[in-house]
Amino acid sequence: MKNWFFVFLLIPVLGACQIKSEQMVLLKIKEDPTISFRLLFKVGSQNDPQGKEGLAALTAEMISDAGSAEDSYEEVLAKLYPMAAGIGSSVDKEMTVISGRTHKDNLAAYYQLLSNALLKPAFAEKDFARIKDNTLSYLKKNLRYSQDEELGKEVLSSFIFEGTPYAHPEEGLVSSVESITLEDVRDFYKTNYTRANLMVGLAGGFDDDLVEKLEKDLASLPQGTPSAVPAPQPTPLKGTSVKIVSKGAPATAISFGFPINALRGDRDFYALALATSWLGEHRNSFSHLYQVIRETRGLNYGDYAYVEHFPNGGRRQFPPPNVARRRAIFQIWIRPVPNEAKVFAFRAALRELQHLVDRGMSAEDFEMTRKFLRNYNLHYAPTTMMKLGYAMDDRFYGIKDGHWKRYAEMLDELTLEDVNAALRKHFSYQNLKAVFITDASQVEELKATLIGNTPSPISYSSPKPEEVLDEDKVISTFPLSISAGDITVEEVDTVFQ
Amino acid sequence: MKGSGLVAYYTVVRTGSRDEYEPGKSGFAHFFEHMMFRGTEKFPADVYNDMVNEMGVDANAYTTDDYTCYTSVVSTDNLEKVMELESDRFQNLSYQKAPFQTEAGAVYGEYRKNVVNPWAVAHEAMMDMAFDKHTYQHTTMGFEADIKMMPEQYEYSLSFFQRYYRPDNCVLLLAGDFDSAAAQKMIQKYYGEWKPGYQAPPVAAEPAQNGERVKAIDYDGQTLPLVWVSYKGKAYNAADKMVVAAFLLGDLAFGENSEIYKKLVIEESKVQFIGADFGFNRDPKLYDIYSMVRSESDIDYVIEQIDATAAKFREELVSAEALENLKKRNRYGYLMDLDTPGSVADALARFIALTGNIDTVNQLYKTMQQITPEDVREAARTFLVKERRNIIKLKGVQS
Repeated sequence: MKNWFFVFLLIPVLGACQIKSEQMVLLKIKEDPTISFRLLFKVGSQNDPQGKEGLAALTAEMISDAGSAEDSYEEVLAKLYPMAAGIGSSVDKEMTVISGRTHKDNLAAYYQLLSNALLKPAFAEKDFARIKDNTLSYLKKNLRYSQDEELGKEVLSSFIFEGTPYAHPEEGLVSSVESITLEDVRDFYKTNYTRANLMVGLAGGFDDDLVEKLEKDLASLPQGTPSAVPAPQPTPLKGTSVKIVSKGAPATAISFGFPINALRGDRDFYALALATSWLGEHRNSFSHLYQVIRETRGLNYGDYAYVEHFPNGGRRQFPPPNVARRRAIFQIWIRPVPNEAKVFAFRAALRELQHLVDRGMSAEDFEMTRKFLRNYNLHYAPTTMMKLGYAMDDRFYGIKDGHWKRYAEMLDELTLEDVNAALRKHFSYQNLKAVFITDASQVEELKATLIGNTPSPISYSSPKPEEVLDEDKVISTFPLSISAGDITVEEVDTVFQ
Repeated sequence: MKGSGLVAYYTVVRTGSRDEYEPGKSGFAHFFEHMMFRGTEKFPADVYNDMVNEMGVDANAYTTDDYTCYTSVVSTDNLEKVMELESDRFQNLSYQKAPFQTEAGAVYGEYRKNVVNPWAVAHEAMMDMAFDKHTYQHTTMGFEADIKMMPEQYEYSLSFFQRYYRPDNCVLLLAGDFDSAAAQKMIQKYYGEWKPGYQAPPVAAEPAQNGERVKAIDYDGQTLPLVWVSYKGKAYNAADKMVVAAFLLGDLAFGENSEIYKKLVIEESKVQFIGADFGFNRDPKLYDIYSMVRSESDIDYVIEQIDATAAKFREELVSAEALENLKKRNRYGYLMDLDTPGSVADALARFIALTGNIDTVNQLYKTMQQITPEDVREAARTFLVKERRNIIKLKGVQS
């Protein structure tokens, strides 16, 4: 990466038993009139006790969206209001972040609110009831009924990681959230919001006094012990398993994928990231799948592929930081297609994946993707807050010089052979899990087509070139090897119950 | 911004779904946005794509009620190349009928992905109910029947380009790390030959609403009930105190620090949230208040509370402190958002679309400083009245 316009500082910390310097990530940007905070705890939904899934997420919200011992939630909102500032939280499988940004004019008042929220949460009954109700309504109504694409991705993640601490959505399950009490939240906070789990991120136009104050104040958290959850070991996949979620749906949303053993920092990760960018760069017409399914055939709004977690892709052009994980999945996201084109679209994507694994990338595509990424990667962390988040993720993955620097080096270093070897080693088009979110009326026919390997021809309302129609014939009979026992159907009302 | 190595290169076309005045053509501005990626004779779609890809441009576009915006964020050393591409497609767009028809399929796909959302359903119903004559009657996505017919509109699409994609209807917006004198020279070079010829669409004025309109609709799925209350507003004008006072009124009366928010969200927990958007539009549109209600039995209660809030603001003066806090919030909020080339351009695009220049932003904040509690009350008396009111109540049928 060129043109970094900040200096990376490590400020040594005085005193024992306080926050260690390796737990601090400081990006000082003198000319930035704002200050960004990210207080990260290495604890996430993987730490939810069994039967209390969703506890980590509820606890974080009881800090960011509730009152403190000093101010009721109303008072917190009233004080933040003129500053145009907020306190946010995010919980992923492995990490929780309490974050916020303020103009330096308002630093003292803002800092007080943020530190009160984290260090003196009120855990008031009224706030708890409101937040819990919001979570339940998200799981029962919003996720099940109003965003089929997110539902598909959430069900796929759960399907791949079943039996592991990654299996449930961060928000939890309906029954587990219902069982969570305020006492559970207090206990979770006490055990996990500790110095042992903490990483402090600070960026922008701050001065050293703020660092000192932050260290001193955070030293009041209990020392604790680092949370120790073994990395998830999903069951190795054999063949293709399918989950169909049956509901009232005007179109079919499809996601499929498999776990991979490559993480940011690994050489193979960059090889796979490069190939996946070519196959399906997120919301970019560079995506080959997009060209095949949307651009040439007009079947949907877009088709993409991922080697890292990318939450809420429908609303974002670039992923947020601090969703770092010790186990990743490769996945393909096919945006809703007309019900009659669902198996065709699935086959088309599967076929492209097969070509990529079996034939590898072409020299031409490889060169083009390297060129593309050298510039496109510049867009990933435009703001101070994002840069800070990425620097913190570098600590998680142990990437000394930073992910973006390493990515740039890898783009120079990796050869076509490296990429194709990594594809053969990590990717498969035969061992995977797939999720279809579709209309109840489609379920039986979908099952029969998948099991019977029945052709799924397609017709268009507008003329298409001969070569497209020829390729369609091949796609529509692309062999599927799925038996009745590999398919499960779930009614939407019981998903994440 | 200097030193970031990036430039936001935006083209704001002052045409949005508002300009779709011909029957059967709703959704066309948005559809046309898609067609702009289909290439020219000099740079056919695949060549265009390869060049954009090679430069790693973050290129996208979006369409709104009042404008269409083509966004590129590009590394500074590629600025001229991007300008060459952008100026070419705006002057020489050329596509065949078959890809045009294929793209119509993608647009229908976009509609299908949106339509499962209850807010999209409520929005569509609100626009249809609140407007009789003005093109704001349809959403930017368009009526479904019109979207279905898009593959048949090839000839029309050519005339759409001829009439609206003209230099007298487009504004180039550059922000970020670049030399502005050099950029101006480049603009002369690449856009100098572009011929004016914009034909303003005869958009019908909406007659004054003469009574409240209410509609209850069913959503085919489960959702918490939605309440959407909209008052007919006024066209944007940064110098018009009533427009700016109304903008502040929305936040004061229904925003995160309002009495009704505290009561319904925090105290009584009757709604999951309530919010307002008294925004800026080219023609008089709607001042919206929306809420997600926890229980169907509270729908009417929430509407009563909105009504009572409107009455209070018509009768009483807001405190000077609350007004000052909001002005402060708006200033800090706007400034804090200007932190990347892309976000600067995003913050300016609508203002440019509404007025054709960026001076309006300074005028807006100047007028805002002058707004008094009396102005806010006057805005409430003008706008928050029953004759201007529209209500959509949406319930899930499977709940």
